[in-house]
Amino acid sequence: MKIAIFDIDNWKEILATLSRNKTRTFLTGFGIFWGVAMLAMLMSGARGGEDLLRRNFAGFATNSGGMIPSATTMPYRGYQKGRTWQMTTSDVVTLRENFPELKAVIPTYQKGSSTFRNGKDSYAGQLVGAESNYTDMLVPRLYAGRFINEADVAAERRVAVVGKKVATQIFPGIDNPVGKLVEVDGSCYSVVGVVGDESEIHLNGSLDEGVVIPASTFRRANGYGDRVDFIMMVAKDGEDLSEIIPGMKRVLFRRHDINPADDGAIWVINIAENFEQVDKLFSGIDLLALFIGLSTLIAGVIGIGNIMWVIVKERTREIGIRRAIGAKPRDIIAQVLCEGTVLTVISGLAGICFAALVLGIMQHAMNPPGAVSEARFQMSFGRAMGILGIFITLGILAGLIPSVKAMRIKPVEALNSK
Amino acid sequence: MTAENQESMIRLRDVNKTYFGAVPLHVLKGINLDVRKGELVSIMGASGSGKSTLLNILGILDNYDSGEYYLDGNLIRNLSENKAADYRNHMIGFVFQSFNLISYKNAMENVALPLFYRGIGRRKRNRLAMEQLERMGIADRALHLPGEMSGGQKQRVAIARAMITNPSIILADEPTGALDSKTSKDVIELFRDLNKREGKTIVIVTHDPGVAAQTDRMIRISDGVIIPGNLPPADGGESRICQC
Ligand SMILES: Nc1ncnc2c1ncn2[C@@H]1O[C@H](COP(=O)(O)OP(=O)(O)OP(=O)(O)O)[C@@H](O)[C@H]1O
Ligand SMILES: [Mg+2]
Repeated sequence: MKIAIFDIDNWKEILATLSRNKTRTFLTGFGIFWGVAMLAMLMSGARGGEDLLRRNFAGFATNSGGMIPSATTMPYRGYQKGRTWQMTTSDVVTLRENFPELKAVIPTYQKGSSTFRNGKDSYAGQLVGAESNYTDMLVPRLYAGRFINEADVAAERRVAVVGKKVATQIFPGIDNPVGKLVEVDGSCYSVVGVVGDESEIHLNGSLDEGVVIPASTFRRANGYGDRVDFIMMVAKDGEDLSEIIPGMKRVLFRRHDINPADDGAIWVINIAENFEQVDKLFSGIDLLALFIGLSTLIAGVIGIGNIMWVIVKERTREIGIRRAIGAKPRDIIAQVLCEGTVLTVISGLAGICFAALVLGIMQHAMNPPGAVSEARFQMSFGRAMGILGIFITLGILAGLIPSVKAMRIKPVEALNSK
Repeated sequence: MTAENQESMIRLRDVNKTYFGAVPLHVLKGINLDVRKGELVSIMGASGSGKSTLLNILGILDNYDSGEYYLDGNLIRNLSENKAADYRNHMIGFVFQSFNLISYKNAMENVALPLFYRGIGRRKRNRLAMEQLERMGIADRALHLPGEMSGGQKQRVAIARAMITNPSIILADEPTGALDSKTSKDVIELFRDLNKREGKTIVIVTHDPGVAAQTDRMIRISDGVIIPGNLPPADGGESRICQC
């Protein structure tokens, strides 16, 4: 092939052929433009949408679960069925010792209607008892101070972490209530932190609207002894919680003389399982986006192939003339491919730019300042180039077939065609 | 004998060509033909006798079924499309009855096109094209599109295009078929000039006895065979030649 890329005549020729039928060129170009834009927007849009959905779970450990005891439904070792039982702090210790696959075993308590008071300002909300490892399950948004720590629990300190909404209600006009006192159900606690919800997920009601105190302090204040209301567990990454739960049940049942077969004696929730559904939904969305994107891609490529076919067909005679004066097959093929490539590159670039613009606007709109996590709508340069590359390659291949076919006919036949 | 071989620009031996259409048509029936270098010959014959078929084979635009065709000593048979393109570009200049110019290129660009396929740069090939157009006397139409030119002008452009590669042989299929008698004369004068001054071998297919009369030798073809005894035509002496 001659170094035709640097030859103005070659470019003039490409322009001439493309502008000879402007409507057709525009429609084909638009097909490519749309295909590229669709593929780019769908792929990046699906990821952005995923990020948006995942934002709802931000700060929440999804490989987790919880258990609450329930009355037994089977008799065992002289006990009647229907016996109520309680988990204890030593259960928590035993579970921590026996299940190294677990990242955290988290005892919690909650009291639905507590009153938080500061002078005459009060607020009725939820009181939660927690240990410092509560944050392994759910990372709260910290507005001021700190969350409950280990020393608080060990020393049964009368400290409180106040919800954002509670703080604004009972400490009106005070920016940072850390260090102030709050009266919880008649007892005084000093405020060590202000927290709120990071995501849409609540464990013991909304953190915004409650108060958290150390688990040990909660037990003392409510006369619980060593009783534990609710145990939550977080499995380490890569561990399957559904394989750990039966063992945990077995340990608890043995310690509390419960029939090993008595599934009704404990209520277990495996959150990881629910999130598998969500993951499936996401991969479904990805797949759908890819499918639609690929369909438009194929449609676009067929469009290019079609247009190339028509261009070659209606120029059979011209190709015959060129061959009669000494054009080699590769000259002809290169010429046709150049036309297809120019059309594909220009429309494809326009499509990518359009998609980038739309995605940029989405990115901006969906990520207001202070958003928990970034929703990644904008596509990377690599992805943009990848999509463009696929389109151009397929476009060239689509143009190759008709031009190679055009070389099959004899020059004399080409010259005599009209 | 060898000296004569050396001199042959075209040498056909028992060339046959059949069109395998709905009904197979044996068009060329064992053609034997020699055209010496520097000769200006005409081919005449009734419509459908196979003149164009023969000329297309000579121009390597079509293939033949059996026999041998030597172009300047090279056997032309089963060539790859690349090799054929090389011969067409370097050795052959083809002039068509219907001009076959590319409609969206101006005269200069049309003339320059064969040099594009030779890899010659734009400036140089446009300069050479202008020179050719000057020789053909239509330099003033260089920037005109074919659609803006008369038949005679178009044929001059086509001849300039055939000439620009400095080919060994020019093949013209009814080059004056679409021209009036005055213009025909001019075009034939051009061919004669090229033949005399540059020693180009030229083969012209024509129906016009006047055109044939201007050539060194007239070859008659009838129903796919060459009528033997071709002589340099005396003026208007066609019938006598046939009887020889
Ligand atoms: N592609 C083809 N397929 C089948 N038959 C063909 C084809 N081309 C030509 N023929 C037939 O071959 C015969 C010779 O055709 P050709 O074109 O060589 O004649 P010609 O001598 O040039 O005639 P004219 O003076 O009318 O141009 C004709 O009978 C024609 O119908
Ligand atoms: Mg003919």
